[in-house]
Amino acid sequence: MGTRRKGGVSEWIEEDAESLFSKYARTKDPRVRNRLVMMHQNLVRFLAGKFMNRGEPIEDLVQVGTIGLINAIDRFDPGRGTKFSTYATPTIVGEIRRHFRDKAWSLKVPRRLQELNLAANKAVDSLSQKLGRVPTVQEIAQAVYASEEETLEAIELGNAYDTVSLDSKLAYEGEAAPLSLAEFIGDTDGSLENLEKYGDLNQAMDCLDQRERSIIYLRFFKDMSQTEVAKRLNISQMHVSRLQQKALKRLKELLSD
Amino acid sequence: MLVEGRPAVVELRIPSRPEFVSVARLAILGVASRAKFTYDQVEDVRLAVGEACTTAVERAVKANKTDTNITIRSELSDNKLTIEVRDEVGYPPKTPKAVESPEELDEQGLGALLMELLVDEFKTEPTPEGGTLVRMVKYTG
Repeated sequence: MGTRRKGGVSEWIEEDAESLFSKYARTKDPRVRNRLVMMHQNLVRFLAGKFMNRGEPIEDLVQVGTIGLINAIDRFDPGRGTKFSTYATPTIVGEIRRHFRDKAWSLKVPRRLQELNLAANKAVDSLSQKLGRVPTVQEIAQAVYASEEETLEAIELGNAYDTVSLDSKLAYEGEAAPLSLAEFIGDTDGSLENLEKYGDLNQAMDCLDQRERSIIYLRFFKDMSQTEVAKRLNISQMHVSRLQQKALKRLKELLSD
Repeated sequence: MLVEGRPAVVELRIPSRPEFVSVARLAILGVASRAKFTYDQVEDVRLAVGEACTTAVERAVKANKTDTNITIRSELSDNKLTIEVRDEVGYPPKTPKAVESPEELDEQGLGALLMELLVDEFKTEPTPEGGTLVRMVKYTG
């Protein structure tokens, strides 16, 4: 009498695997095969669990692993003296790895990590602003609901693999309009950049003489025509044109330094 | 990946404790990412190194030697990544313990088998100091 194993679903699980294997080898009875499959689900789960962090649902891995298990059961020769778990492991692992290869995942970082990478980068930005300092790894991990290792991994992978296409779609299947990676990338903030240039320009303006400054101010900040400026300053339009050209040239030089 | 014409060597020493296995996994991810591996190959290497460290930690726990260290040395050359995981605890028995029931999965035996499947070359041997050395090679491309 065997001891009842944990999770012992029904009577047959008490049966000896060895006698089942020889029975199956003899009869090829699908019911016996089913029992053997059920009996070794834990082996499949154990192995599938090892591949869990590649972003595929564990149930999918168990499913393809079970295909490997069935193949192993079909080919196993109990008379050889090999233990079944040793015999079946390469077949099960082979199916699981083939599953990843078939999905062409070899070519790109799994979506989960891509997303985590984006989320982590975003979290770094928003946390830095909120905290007024660079966030710790723990703080980033908490913000993106991932473990610290996972978070670091996502950041690390983001640096190592820069070949992910910007057009790669990030949305889950079934969503109407999948977003591409490119849509998550921020633009240079135009108004911020202008503000900076404005400051530089102000300094450069100080280097012009009074009349040049007036011309630039009236032409470009008050939107006046050269003729209007000429009238205002009581000089010819040609003169305005010449002074404007000279002033702009000077400003360009100053700003490009 | 050659650094100034020589293989890049990264060495890491961790305490023989379960919570440090992930440190080794993370480090090897960084190293393997620098070679011309596909993502799956990087993950294979990482899984194999994780298994090697886990079995080393298990041996240390069993032998009551958690005060020892595990050294992970990786060498990245032109076309391959060589990883050596060295512990200070005794050499494991050659044949893994027989397992009949899936509920009693011998993680150690299957772990070694798994490692063998994930890399291109795999070897376990005793070290002169009385520890265990696991040597794995994964080729790029």
